[in-house]
Amino acid sequence: MIEHAFSAAPRPAAVPHAARPAVSTIQQWWVLTVRMITPTLRNGELATQVIGSIVFTVGYYLPLKQLMGAVQPLSSYAQYLTPLIVLQAIWFAAVSAAFRSATDSVQGINRRFRAMPIASLTPLASRMTASMYRCCIALAVSVICGHVIGFRFHEGVLYAAGFVGLALLIGAALAFIGDLIGIATENPEATAPLMLVPQLTLGLASVGLQPVENFPDWIQGFVRNQPLSQWVYGLQALAGDSTDAAPEATWSVLAPGLVWAVGCIVVAVVLHARVSRRRR
Amino acid sequence: MVSSDKAVIVDGIKKSFGEVAALRGVSFEVARGEVLGLLGPNGAGKTTTVNILATLVTPDSGRAVIAGHDVVSDPAGVRRSLMLTGQHVALDDLLTGRENLLMFGRLQGLKKKVARQRAQELLEQFDLVDAADRAVGNYSGGMKRRIDIACGLVVRPEVVFLDEPTTGLDPRSRQAIWELVTDFKEAGIATLLTTQYLEEADLLSDRIIVIDRGTVIAEGTADQLKERTGGTYCEIVPAQPRDIPAMARALGSLLPDTNRATLSEASDRISMPAPDGPKTLMQALHRLSEADIELMDIALRRPSLDEVFLALTGDGVRAGGQDRTDAFEAADAYA
Repeated sequence: MIEHAFSAAPRPAAVPHAARPAVSTIQQWWVLTVRMITPTLRNGELATQVIGSIVFTVGYYLPLKQLMGAVQPLSSYAQYLTPLIVLQAIWFAAVSAAFRSATDSVQGINRRFRAMPIASLTPLASRMTASMYRCCIALAVSVICGHVIGFRFHEGVLYAAGFVGLALLIGAALAFIGDLIGIATENPEATAPLMLVPQLTLGLASVGLQPVENFPDWIQGFVRNQPLSQWVYGLQALAGDSTDAAPEATWSVLAPGLVWAVGCIVVAVVLHARVSRRRR
Repeated sequence: MVSSDKAVIVDGIKKSFGEVAALRGVSFEVARGEVLGLLGPNGAGKTTTVNILATLVTPDSGRAVIAGHDVVSDPAGVRRSLMLTGQHVALDDLLTGRENLLMFGRLQGLKKKVARQRAQELLEQFDLVDAADRAVGNYSGGMKRRIDIACGLVVRPEVVFLDEPTTGLDPRSRQAIWELVTDFKEAGIATLLTTQYLEEADLLSDRIIVIDRGTVIAEGTADQLKERTGGTYCEIVPAQPRDIPAMARALGSLLPDTNRATLSEASDRISMPAPDGPKTLMQALHRLSEADIELMDIALRRPSLDEVFLALTGDGVRAGGQDRTDAFEAADAYA
């Protein structure tokens, strides 16, 4: 073995002699998922997520409680408002997903993964798993915030599970869209406005803050049918109310929201495949 | 079947991006333990070539085989055999150096314990122990490049692509990477080196190919390429520049017409081919001293690889289409 005089020089042992081990897709998926989650614990991303949910609750509930609490049909404004807070929190989580996927694209680590023995869908699967982790945090914190201001599940465990399931499905749809925006723009700075502008405009022009009847006639059609409102209806129905005023958890109430969520996922997956193919 | 001593076989690969022909039939081979320098101006097709060999881009036609695996029909086999490291460091900036090494070790199938062991070895070998537990985002350029390459060595590659590995590095880090290339050679790994530094290609490469406008325009050792662009020449500097015309007369048949034609009022020296090396120099010296011309300097020179490169590829302004290829390659590089 040659001894190099230069101290910083890597020794010949830099090149291992052992044969390559076989790779495992499950292990790769897990390693790539942990890679996304580890930094959230120390760079403030997790804290931001938690604080975000609290800020949405305080920011909507306190100022609007008197103003809009009086014109909504449910037993309390907390019961009416919490679905929107949940949706804003999981949307906020999807902004992080967009930022991370854009960062990966621009830093070239995706290129490196593609030249390694890793199945082409594994990095995406890991990003989605990490997104669902953020989504679960956002959902848990915002439901706890809702509970503090007076939100309750009135329809039993099954419907509460349905509430969680619908919220996670919507979270997955938003995360897919976020991931797509990140991949397509390859620009981390551009992802936040692209995600936040629709979040705020759809949030304000939705039935989450006040019933559709309180909007001017000309915009009522949009307010009622846009996805965020349909998701609010679905979540309000699954949470129920102490009165009979909550929407009934029937297919006609739930289906539009489900179709919006599944539709978003299908469109995002197709566009995702197209963006990836464009780069071949 | 592929003969076992060739780690890389490239046979007439072509690739177009829309209207732009990035590669128009590129062929070369790299043996195990050999370093092949890949030179060419920006937009010549170097990055596209590397991307095709790394299975990032599919060729339109032609064949490329890496360590016995075809890039089109067996990309998985290719990916198991190669290490790709680029001028753009591709790591997770949010993770520490050690975490990056662990991640790549685990992605390559190492067990947790082995991956941890290997990470420690590589940190020591690449002189990064002190920085091991800092986020890579805070590393200096040289440290980033070292950890980037270390991440490619968690398991043994058969073929290494070094894409401008020392661009922007300080001399110390550059030296470390040069020594690493020697290690690859000793370990029997084939190395494909693209670089802008011709001195580096000259020093490290066993053979060099020059690509321009999507085709291989020259191939050989650095010496062969130098020979090809004129070989050794003799440079004569008079003490008084006004003696140049008298010198040209005195040299007579030694100075070919083409060299004579390049002389002007502003010339302060004469360059001419020296086909017989020192003998030509002696003859020139003899004739000039007979003509009683006082010299400041007379020497035999070999063209530098830079001159070879300019002679081979230099034809003035690049066509607009080349810049477009560049843009495509840049987009690819980040994909």
